[in-house]
Amino acid sequence: MNIGSFISTVAVVAIVSALAVLVLLVLLFKSTWRIAEPNEALIISGRPHRNKGLEESLGFKIVTGRGTLVMPGLQAVRRLSLDLRETDLQIDCVTHQGIPLRVRGVVIYKVGDDLVSVANAARRFLDQQNQMDQRVHNLFAGHLRAIIGNMTVEEMIRDREKLTELTREHAGTEMEKLGLIVDSLQIQEILDPTAYIQNLALPHAAAVEREARIARAQADREATEKEQEAEAQKALARRDTQIRQAGYQAEVDRAAAQAKQAGPLSEATARQQVVVEETRVAELEAERREKDLLVEVRKPADAKAYEQVTLSRAQRDAHIQEAEARAREIELQAAADAARVKLAAGAQAERVKVEAEASSAQTRMIGEAEAAATQARGLAEGEAIRARGMAEAEAIKARAEALEGNQDAIIGQQLAEKWPEIVEAAAKPFGDIDQMIVLNGAQGISDALAQALSQGIAGLQLARRLLVDPNGVAPITAGPRPEGGGSPVARRDRSRSGRTPNEADSV
Amino acid sequence: MVRTVLDQGMIGRVGRVTGVIGPGRLGEVMIAVRGGSEAFNAYASDPGETISKGARVVVVEYFPPRTVVVSPA
Repeated sequence: MNIGSFISTVAVVAIVSALAVLVLLVLLFKSTWRIAEPNEALIISGRPHRNKGLEESLGFKIVTGRGTLVMPGLQAVRRLSLDLRETDLQIDCVTHQGIPLRVRGVVIYKVGDDLVSVANAARRFLDQQNQMDQRVHNLFAGHLRAIIGNMTVEEMIRDREKLTELTREHAGTEMEKLGLIVDSLQIQEILDPTAYIQNLALPHAAAVEREARIARAQADREATEKEQEAEAQKALARRDTQIRQAGYQAEVDRAAAQAKQAGPLSEATARQQVVVEETRVAELEAERREKDLLVEVRKPADAKAYEQVTLSRAQRDAHIQEAEARAREIELQAAADAARVKLAAGAQAERVKVEAEASSAQTRMIGEAEAAATQARGLAEGEAIRARGMAEAEAIKARAEALEGNQDAIIGQQLAEKWPEIVEAAAKPFGDIDQMIVLNGAQGISDALAQALSQGIAGLQLARRLLVDPNGVAPITAGPRPEGGGSPVARRDRSRSGRTPNEADSV
Repeated sequence: MVRTVLDQGMIGRVGRVTGVIGPGRLGEVMIAVRGGSEAFNAYASDPGETISKGARVVVVEYFPPRTVVVSPA
């Protein structure tokens, strides 16, 4: 057990000591091994050394990007940062045109990556890395002033290429001396006490503003035009709509009015038909009434009138026929009388002729003739009076009944009435004759009779004239006297004998 | 060839002009070197020549630390 524990103790000691040695070795290695970070360079001095790539050296070793063994106590190791650095610049300067400006910028730089640059920088800044910015600031202020002095404001603003080019030209070589390279120079701000930039911008700004105003005005005008056009079109459309609405409204109103009228219209139509029917009824009634009247009034009236007319016509005809009959009767009677008288006269004349021839029995025959004549005269007178009375009565009746008869008829009638008197008057001369001597026999008697008849005719004419014109007394124109004769009176006196008034009736 | 060691292989490298190289003007070229790309001040090998931005150039001479002479590639 002791042996075992001993062995184990030895083993533990051995392990621990080995570990301690190992740790020691590691510590030793750590203290002698230096590693250069990617962004730094190790500057090792203390031993003569030749850097690779450098023809001759100031005796220090530059290590970048790897590790190296450093003899503690024999060699010194310094680190030089290769990081990017920047320095703010703010300077008052004057441009190429003499315009004062205050420029604020920044320069970005670093230590060059090549060994020469590292060597240059290491020699200058190894202990003054914190002051590197200040140094660079001072350096670059002058450079920037010179750079801006070679530029105009416009170029500063616009020509970035020229700025970098001038930076390179002015500062590049200078920085090379320091082992630095300028990555970038930026001008951050330009303060312009004379408002040069502002004035520079003014024309353009004014032009731009002008353009903007023009564009705005144009746009406004176009917009207004379009708006107005749109308004006009809207108004047009509204007008069309209103017109159409009005048209539709009118149609609607018309339809409504028609619909409203339809009732009264149909009513009126119906009423019209009713009226038409009523009118027809009234017409029919009127017709019926007319027919009734025709039957009740006119026909009887017509019949009555016809009756009256017929009656009156019959009456008239009767009267006329009566009158005609009477006239005919008178005529016939007169004719009969005349014929009788004529016969009587003829007989008397024959007798006278016989008496004349028989001169011997003249006186007796005259007496007989006178008696016969007186007898005949009395008979004729009676007949005549009777006939006159009859005729008068008949004539009055006929005259009253007849229409306006002609005067001739009346006259004739009157003459006929007066005829006996006339004949009497005419026969008077013969009546006074006591003795009638006819000288030339039968011829003489004929002459005497003819003269007496002509006297009778003259008297008849006179009477006729008197009747026609009762007031006017026309001169009595006697018929032409026979030549070689005496006065009518004388002749009358001479031919008075043997004459009867009845002789005149034969004329 | 000490120079070869010194120039760290810069001669013959191809770069790109980032600042116009012209007569009397210091240009700038970007050259890939040491695993990165670095900007170098550049002159034209022909002093009267102008090399515009973006042109490919080849380094014909190297002046440490930061200056090269280039000619159009």
